[in-house]
Order: sequence, then structure tokens, then C-alpha cells
Amino acid sequence: MPVRSSSSAAYIQNISPTSNGAPSTRPTSLTIHPSALFSILDHYLRRTDAQHRVIGTLLGTRTDSTVDVKSAFAVLHSETDEQVAVDMDYHRAMYDLSTRVRPNETIVGWYSTGSDLNTYSALIQNFYSQETAPNQAVHVALDTGMEEGKGAGVKAYVSSPVGIFPKPENCVFVPIPCELRFHEAERSGLDLLLSPNPSSNQTDLDVLASSLTDVQNMLNRVLAYVQSVLRGEVVGDKAVGRYLMDVLGTGVEEDGGWTAGLQDTLMVTYLANLVRSQAEVSARLALTTAV
Amino acid sequence: MAAPSMAAALAASLPAPQAAPTPAAPTYEAIPASMSKAIDIEAEIPLTCVQLDGIVITKILKHSREAFSTTAHGLLLGLDLDGILEVSNSFALPNHNNDDDEKATKSIARYQQSMLRSLKEVQGDDNVVGFYQATSLGAFFNQTLIDTQAIHQDRLRHGGVVIVHDISQTARGNASFRAFKLTPAFMDAYRRANFSTAGLISHRLTFASILEEIPLRVRTNALLSSYLNTLATPSTSTFSGAHPGVATTSAVPPSYSVLDIGDMGLTKNLEQVAEAIDNYRTEEGNVAYLSRQIAREKLRAETYVAKRKEENARRVAQGLNALPEEDISRLFRIPPEPSRLESMLLLGQVDAYAKSLESSAGTGLVKMYAAKASSGV
Repeated sequence: MPVRSSSSAAYIQNISPTSNGAPSTRPTSLTIHPSALFSILDHYLRRTDAQHRVIGTLLGTRTDSTVDVKSAFAVLHSETDEQVAVDMDYHRAMYDLSTRVRPNETIVGWYSTGSDLNTYSALIQNFYSQETAPNQAVHVALDTGMEEGKGAGVKAYVSSPVGIFPKPENCVFVPIPCELRFHEAERSGLDLLLSPNPSSNQTDLDVLASSLTDVQNMLNRVLAYVQSVLRGEVVGDKAVGRYLMDVLGTGVEEDGGWTAGLQDTLMVTYLANLVRSQAEVSARLALTTAV
Repeated sequence: MAAPSMAAALAASLPAPQAAPTPAAPTYEAIPASMSKAIDIEAEIPLTCVQLDGIVITKILKHSREAFSTTAHGLLLGLDLDGILEVSNSFALPNHNNDDDEKATKSIARYQQSMLRSLKEVQGDDNVVGFYQATSLGAFFNQTLIDTQAIHQDRLRHGGVVIVHDISQTARGNASFRAFKLTPAFMDAYRRANFSTAGLISHRLTFASILEEIPLRVRTNALLSSYLNTLATPSTSTFSGAHPGVATTSAVPPSYSVLDIGDMGLTKNLEQVAEAIDNYRTEEGNVAYLSRQIAREKLRAETYVAKRKEENARRVAQGLNALPEEDISRLFRIPPEPSRLESMLLLGQVDAYAKSLESSAGTGLVKMYAAKASSGV
């Protein structure tokens, strides 16, 4: 699930000439959790007027080739024409605090809003590389979509030193692919946020009903398409036709299991109702005394 | 708990903006009518709604899922305005699994303090308004939750709320967040630690009247919702010959896990119901045993008193001095009446498990008929 549609990220292996011996493996892709993403957006909203962009630390886990960004926290920093300063004490303190709750998450890199990479980005990258040593730091640039002409999106980079004598303020940011990743169980939470009129008091049946309506609408759309092909109004797409055949051709095998399943479910419903009424009666009885 | 100090600090800092609109008259009586809704120093406007920000939703989701085996809990931060409690941020609290009480409590308090201070530095909200608790299969009644909420209710502005998040229901495709606070009747009984039968009757307490639910709504700010919509918009693949199933991609593809047919953890749920009922039986047994013991002791005390009276009457008749009436409470230790709170909470758990069982069986029934209908074509 790429976060950006037209991702031109390519992986270029560029082993720095200075590191001899076993070079640490470089991440080739990055996944980001929605809660980290939303933390960044929240931080951006809470910036002061003077701040052009906000930065912060990314926490997560890493395997050989991928970095999973799980959460993020804001870090104080200031940028002027002459200098950039990052509050390192604050960064350390926050990291210590967050390891108490999430001991398996380590520093994997940093984020900033806005998509421009400049000398300061290189300097901050240099600082975070020390924090994540021996692994490489990743940099996530989040475009909030607030500036005109730029779409919202996330880009991820790793850095590589440049020049014969590498300096901290010079480096090449190499883009790597970036995906949004979350657990299937968290999916419904995102649905809640995506729904136009979110309320959290839906029963399971409401949710089921709305997704059945969705399916019905989609079937209607397919039906309309098929009928217009049959009438000869539209030239049918063979690939689509074959796909529909595959999907709709799968029938459910009928065996004796259905009736048994139905009986079980009805029994469970009955039992649940019975338990609830018994609990209610019991609670009322506790309020009476022997006269 | 470090929470109260924050509430006090907030209350202390509030009068400053109030003085600002009327700098000429330093009398504190004049809050402009237009501002009376915004300035609510004494927390007089009752809460009618809890508003959860999108970021809080994802944070709670993530924390609850990662700490599945243990129970996840954390603090909610935000502000109340005109009866709406806006929860704008949250952070997780470390688990106190080892019962090194004194030390653990202190270190959690320290953690809380420094976290709040840190958040304040980056312009985050740092006003504690309640806490959240992850639960499974709807059963969130337990002593810890009640105790924590009772402390908050005493000390926090507006009493704070507890947000309960049901992991299992969310996994079934219906993200469940509910906001609660303790009812006044329960708080009264709790303060007096009076959960004897008489106490329950006078407060008319059942498990259903421990907590009252506050309506909850979810808010996504403009930036977040525009961002989410960008993510959810499908993009068409540039390859012309792509398979229709993969031709359009989106970072957040539509999900139909709700439609999955299966047992949906009914077995587990049934086990939980049975277990909760067993626990309740045990607790009832304890209460009954204690009640019998009380009755026995009382009977012994009464017979002793009666005997002494009889003897005194005889002695008076014989012209002797009456024996002193001894303090029977010193002779017979009548145990205090057992607290019914535990059994009430267990009953609440039974009810919650059964409710969740009922709802998942209900949707299961609908899905079964749907599958039957579609296979019959």
C-alpha cells in the first residue's frame, strides 16, 4: 500500500567509500503506522508562528531490509539563516520516557514536514545517524498538502555521504519506497475516522448493514456494466469479464454444516439472553432483604 | 496520582484571560454574557459529550493491540468547553505488573509528571481529563478501573472520564469506544465505603447503575481528514494490462472483514461467560458463608445477653446485687457485613460477556442467512 501514488523511489546501493569492513545493511523500504503519521500532523498543527517546519524523532523496529516506524514524538528545534539547533536533552528525555512504555521500539530516524531538503536537513540527519548507529537513520518528509501545487504525501529517505572528504553538512538523500502499514484489527478504527459522520455508538448490526449496502451498490454497478455490454452500448473489456467470471463463479458448497451451524448460533443467542436475564434478576434480588 | 495538581494549576491559571476583556474594572463579577460559555472556572456546565480526536483513536488502538495480553491503559489530555470534553491527546502508562506497590506508584507518578512537562514544551495539551482502558469482549468492570476513576472523579475538574476500548469488537470490524463516569449514587456509596446490603438498597445500586455512559463522538480535524481522504482515494495503475484485482490501489483499501463468516471467537466468549459465572458463584459463596457466620455470632451474643438478664432477675428476686451488664461487643466479635461490591462487579462482567456473545451471535445469524441466500442462486 504505497502512500503516494506516483512513487518514483528507487533503491540505489551506494556503499560509502569511508566505511571499510562490514558495512551495515541499509534499509530498502519503510513502513509507517497511522498513529505515527497522525502524531506528525498534530505536531504540525501545534507549531508556533515562527516555525517554518517541525521535526521530531521516529521510533520503531527494524529488520535487515525494512524499517517499521511505529510512533513519533515531537522535538524542539529552531532554524535561522545562520544556524539550526535541536534540543538534544529533550529528545533524550522523551526517548527515555517512551522506552518505559514501549521497550521494543528504538530510534530509527527523524521526520520533518515540508518536502524541501537542505543543508540543515543534512546536519540533522548527521545527528540522528549518531543516535541510530550502527544502523542508518531514515528521514521521513511529510508533505501536509497545505502549500499550493503540492499534494499530500510521505517520502522516505536514507542518506549517503557525498564528496571525497565527506562533511556532515553534505549528503545525498536517497529515496526509498514508503508504505502505510497497520494491523488488520486496527482497520475498523480508520474506517471510523474515514466515515463522513463518525459516531462510535454503532452496534455490530449497524456496521454489518452498512457494509452489506456497500456490497449491494457494487453489485448493482457491475450489473449495470454487464447489461450495457450485452446491449452493445459499451465494448466489453475481456480482462474485466474474465475477472468477474472468476469472482462470481465461486459458489458455496452446500453440506449439512449449515443447519448445524444455525442451530448452534440460535442456541448461543438463547443462552446469552438467558444469562443476561438471570444476571439482572440476581442484581435485583441483592437489593431485597429478608423481612 | 499527579493529576490533581494539574487540575489545580489549570483552575489557578484560568482567571487571567477572564480579567483581560475588562481591564478597566478589576471587579471579578463581570464575565461578559458572550463569554460565559467559554469561561467556566468552577466547572459548572455539566458534560454532555466527549469528543475524541483522530490521533487519540489511533494511539489507543495501537497501544491496546500491542499490549494484548496485559491490559493497556493510559491518560487522556484535553480541555472542556461548553459541556463538551475535547480529548486531543493521550499517552500510554507503563504497566504495574509487579506488585512493588510503593515504588511502582512513585515511578509512575514521576513518569506522568515528566511526560506532561515534555508535552507542554512542544505546545501539546497537558491537562489530564481522564484515562483510557482497553478491554476484551466488553467486560471492563473491575476494581482497578473503579478505584482509578473514583480518584479522578474526586480530584479532576469535571471528574474526568474513562474511555473504554473493546479490542475484540474492534477486531470484528466495529471500532468501539465508549465514555463513562461513575454515577453520583455509586460515588456516594464509594466514599462511605458502604457496600453492605443495606447500603446497596439505600443507593439503589445494581451493576447497571455503577457507571453512566456519556455520548461520545469522533472528530478529525480538517488537516487530518483531508490527509486521510488523500490516502483512501484509489489510484489507477499505469500498466494497461494490469489484472483488474490489482489495477487500482489505495493506501487504505476498503475492508470487508465485517462480512467474514466464521465462529467469530464464540467459543472463547462462551468460555469467558462460564468463567465469569464461576467466579460469581465463588464470591456469592464467600458472602453467604460470612453472612452465616455473622448470624451465628449474633445468635450467641443474644443468648448470652438473655441469660445474663435472666440471672439478674433471679438475683434481684433473691435480694442480691445485679451483675453488671457487660459490653457484649467486647465478648463477641461480630464480623462486619461483607462488601457486596465485588460480587456486583462480577455480575456486571457476566452481563457484559453475555451481551457481547449475544451481539456477535446475532450478526452471525444474519451472515449465515446471507451466505445461504447467495449460495442458493
